[in-house]
Amino acid sequence: MKRFALLALSVSVTTPLVAQAGGATRVLIVSGLSGDPSFARTFNTAAGAVYQAAHDRWHVADSDLVYLNEDPTTAAHSTGKSTRENVAAAFTQLAAREHAGDVVLVLLIGHGAGEGAASALNLPGPDPTAGDYATWVARLAPATVVFVDASSASGDFVPVLAGPNRIVITATKTAFERNAVEFAGFFANGLASGDADADKDGVVTVAEAFHYAVSRVAQSYDATKRMLTEHAVIADSSHLASATGFGGRASSADPRVTALLGQRRAIQLQVDSLHRLKPTMDSTAYQSALETLLLQLAERTRALQALQGAKP
Amino acid sequence: MLMMATCAAPLAAQTAVTPPVVRTLALHGRRDVAMQLAQRGGAPLEVTVADLLVARGDLVRADSLYRDAIARQLPGYRTALAGLAELAARQGNTADAVRYAARAIAGYQAGGAWSGDDLVAIGRADAVLGAGDPQAFHDALRAFDRATAADSSNLDAQVRAADLLLDKYNAPDARAGYTAVLRRAADDPRALYGLARAAAFDNNADPVVDARRALAADAEFVPAWLLLAEQELQAEAMDSATTAARHALALDSSAVTGWGILGAIAWMRGDSTSFNATLAAARKLQPRPADFYSEVAEAAGRQRRYADAVVMARRAVEADSTSARAYGVLGENLLRTGDMVGGRAGVERAFAIDPYNLWHKNMLDLLDNLRSFRTTTTARFQIIAPADESEYLTLYVGPLLEAAYDSFATKYGYHPPTPIRVEYYGRHADFSVRTVGLTGLGALGVSFGTVLVLDSPRAQDIGELNYGSTTWHELAHTFTLGLSDHRVPRWMSEGLSVLEERQAGKGWGFQASPDFLAAYKGGVLPTASRLNEGLVQSHFPNEIGLSYYEASLVMEMIESQHGMAAVRDLLQAYARGLDTPAALQAVLQISPAELDNQFDGWIRARFAAPLAAIDSSDGRRPPTGRFIDMMAHAIALDSAGQRDSAATLYRGAESLFPDDGSEDGAAWHLAEQARAAGDLQAAAADLHRITMHSETAHEANAAEAAVRLQIGDSAGALQALERDQWIDPYQPGLHLKTAELAEALHKYPIAVRERRAIVANVPSDPAEARYQLARTLKVAGDIAGARRELLALLEQAPGFERAQLLLLDLQDGHP
Repeated sequence: MKRFALLALSVSVTTPLVAQAGGATRVLIVSGLSGDPSFARTFNTAAGAVYQAAHDRWHVADSDLVYLNEDPTTAAHSTGKSTRENVAAAFTQLAAREHAGDVVLVLLIGHGAGEGAASALNLPGPDPTAGDYATWVARLAPATVVFVDASSASGDFVPVLAGPNRIVITATKTAFERNAVEFAGFFANGLASGDADADKDGVVTVAEAFHYAVSRVAQSYDATKRMLTEHAVIADSSHLASATGFGGRASSADPRVTALLGQRRAIQLQVDSLHRLKPTMDSTAYQSALETLLLQLAERTRALQALQGAKP
Repeated sequence: MLMMATCAAPLAAQTAVTPPVVRTLALHGRRDVAMQLAQRGGAPLEVTVADLLVARGDLVRADSLYRDAIARQLPGYRTALAGLAELAARQGNTADAVRYAARAIAGYQAGGAWSGDDLVAIGRADAVLGAGDPQAFHDALRAFDRATAADSSNLDAQVRAADLLLDKYNAPDARAGYTAVLRRAADDPRALYGLARAAAFDNNADPVVDARRALAADAEFVPAWLLLAEQELQAEAMDSATTAARHALALDSSAVTGWGILGAIAWMRGDSTSFNATLAAARKLQPRPADFYSEVAEAAGRQRRYADAVVMARRAVEADSTSARAYGVLGENLLRTGDMVGGRAGVERAFAIDPYNLWHKNMLDLLDNLRSFRTTTTARFQIIAPADESEYLTLYVGPLLEAAYDSFATKYGYHPPTPIRVEYYGRHADFSVRTVGLTGLGALGVSFGTVLVLDSPRAQDIGELNYGSTTWHELAHTFTLGLSDHRVPRWMSEGLSVLEERQAGKGWGFQASPDFLAAYKGGVLPTASRLNEGLVQSHFPNEIGLSYYEASLVMEMIESQHGMAAVRDLLQAYARGLDTPAALQAVLQISPAELDNQFDGWIRARFAAPLAAIDSSDGRRPPTGRFIDMMAHAIALDSAGQRDSAATLYRGAESLFPDDGSEDGAAWHLAEQARAAGDLQAAAADLHRITMHSETAHEANAAEAAVRLQIGDSAGALQALERDQWIDPYQPGLHLKTAELAEALHKYPIAVRERRAIVANVPSDPAEARYQLARTLKVAGDIAGARRELLALLEQAPGFERAQLLLLDLQDGHP
């Protein structure tokens, strides 16, 4: 089970839960030139899904949520045109508020070009290069940065952007994988819909979203019997991908709820501990102990739902 | 020159008699003239005389002349050394072979000017040395190439270079070499024979065609006769094979291959006297007759007598522990019998001796790859599949195989030994290598008896494979092969397998088609008693497929007229050693000719209406006739919007050929019209005619499922979805739809299987899929199974609230 050094927040709006303590989440989505209406729809869908999730489910403040695209009139939530100047300004805006423990998600969607530090996402007007993004991202410290270039030919962003306290993801392994990619759509969908939440804890970690997208991309190519022409890459030198997520656990002002949530967390820790002991235990004893803990966990969940008036 | 060579004397008077002249005469069927001229040529032609004697099988005299030429340093003495080396190698005398070959190439490495004949001799000697030193094959090729470079008209060198390439499994380059020779000499029998051999090697064309062209150029060209004999043997035409082999041996009694073919026929007929006689003849030529045993082993393997092949291959290995061929055929057949360890050892040994062997290289690579496959064991089967398909495939083929075993065991009264090994390959190339050692095999599955090898659904495009019917088909072979002690002729085994597919009642198996009826009517398909020819030697596109169907009809007729007991008796008659005429007489009291007549009458009665509406064809052109015209006219009217008129014609076409379930036939068009008109009942019925006649009709099955759901026929929809999963199992949503439908119909075993399939197919949301599986297990009443699933799921995802609550429900005993 992954650790919960969560940096993103969420509360259920239908229950008297409040946000737990933690850092803020900020999101910058940059969608580039499409060149074709079908690409425009694809880019807008992916970017819009992440925007919507950030707004509705992750409860990112409007001032912390920037979505730039090639034509703001064509995208429901676009906050501006994705020109070089606007992108730079967005970074400046976000950088002004960063603190340790905050998380900034930067998501680039579109067609990539160039090589090495000159790699770029095609934008209206001059294209900022990977080197430019590196400069801008540096200003976001001490926040944790999740930098996702989900565009084609994005592979060379990795060596330019990688660094401590950063997770860098690209849709392709190199700058030479230039075909339009499917990674962006799957990554955005996994992140936004919660489908990538493999352990169903309500939080989609960066690792879960990445693995979900990689798996979906492979299946998509396989299903249509095409050679895989995009190989996504993740650089995570600080081992943050499994501990950094979007979405969140519930908390509440109701002391009974708080107590039950605390009990659940404690039992989950016991499940974790038990799991670690599995190789040393008799399998029957392990299964029995596991079932006991899981039933205890389930009882707390049932009690919580009863308090919240939820149907089981 | 040839036109002048009507007799020896005039030619001798007009033309200088040289070795090339003599060789050319010999190659054009004038061996006697060639011999007369050579013998009159004295010492300069002594080696040429010896070469001619070798071709006649007079090895003793040839040996003597070679030695004399060497002793006297006569012209062509290097050729004599090469000839002696080859003779020694044929006899299995490796030491002498190496010694003579080494003398033949002595001084060559030092450079200098060499004649074309000397270079060819050096190439031949190097080829002999190659048996112990694979690098020498390169030297041989270089020597032949040098000879050709020095004299582009040296066809002998070019043919030998091509032969060497083919010996080392390079058919494309060999074919190019033979073709180049034929551009200079269109009737060179060696090059024509080379093309035939290349065709036999890679299945690129019908080898018989070029073999016969070679014999047309030189009726006494022994290798071509032997190739024909092998082809006849492969077609299980034992009498024809015997005739061809005896003809070859009459021309050259030193042809071990010929004795091997006769030995194989004797062995397969259980004629130990003849077998021992052929073995004795082979021993005279090769005291340790590894080639003879290898020939018999290879033939036994081709006849599906794999255990016999192993026995013979072991004898070959005992005779010559340096024979790559012997180890190869041993390894190949051990692998076919499921002895993967022993088989691998054999192939490895063969490859160590002959590292050029592509088959062995491919097989060893495949065996390495096979280590990553997963094995699942059911009651009577071991199912081996790629790790990413294994769990899924086993869900379906496991129960299918068990059900098929029970069905066949009851029907045939025979229980094959278990476990039966069933291998699925996700890449067709791997399946092909496992089966024939090379890529490019057209089949989808192969049965070696208790080892089945098949394409998995991933190996083919959608619509190319029904992996359920293929599995059913191959397992039927296990019964027919086993019951007949692997002696059932290919046509009967294939015919029964196809018939079993049809009788499975799922729309599986070859069905009647306009192509078949046109070809049958045209008389281009083999008669019932000669069906093996259609299965092995294709004379027009799709002949093999049509012959499979015809074979199934023959068996359908026999079963319908004489009962299943007669089918069993036939198979057991083969096990007792009877051939087809004897088996037919013993069981059905008819001759092959009578079988042909009965079948012809039966098929003409059964398909009377469509046969009257379809013209005869030669199998090469698309079918024509009233039925075809009617369909074409209907489609044209349909396209023009005249739907009522089109429908009338479609129905007319259907009445002419009610069994036509082709995916673009009348039923499909009528279904389309019915759907457009909102008559979904009619659409469902039309679509069902297709899905019950076309085993790969993905679109029709999907459409039928959708239409039946619309008219509330959930059970019919479920059946269509279940049929579709054998065709396109990895389509998104199929298993979810099937699971939900099955659950709604309280068909819980199907629902649970489908939920397991979703889990096995790496779903986008694995935890949700496992939760749904647990929930369905609970609904199905499998509380223990549901608990197991939930514990496994919650161990990984303890925070999954719905799963927690379901576990609590199970604990509380809630329904």
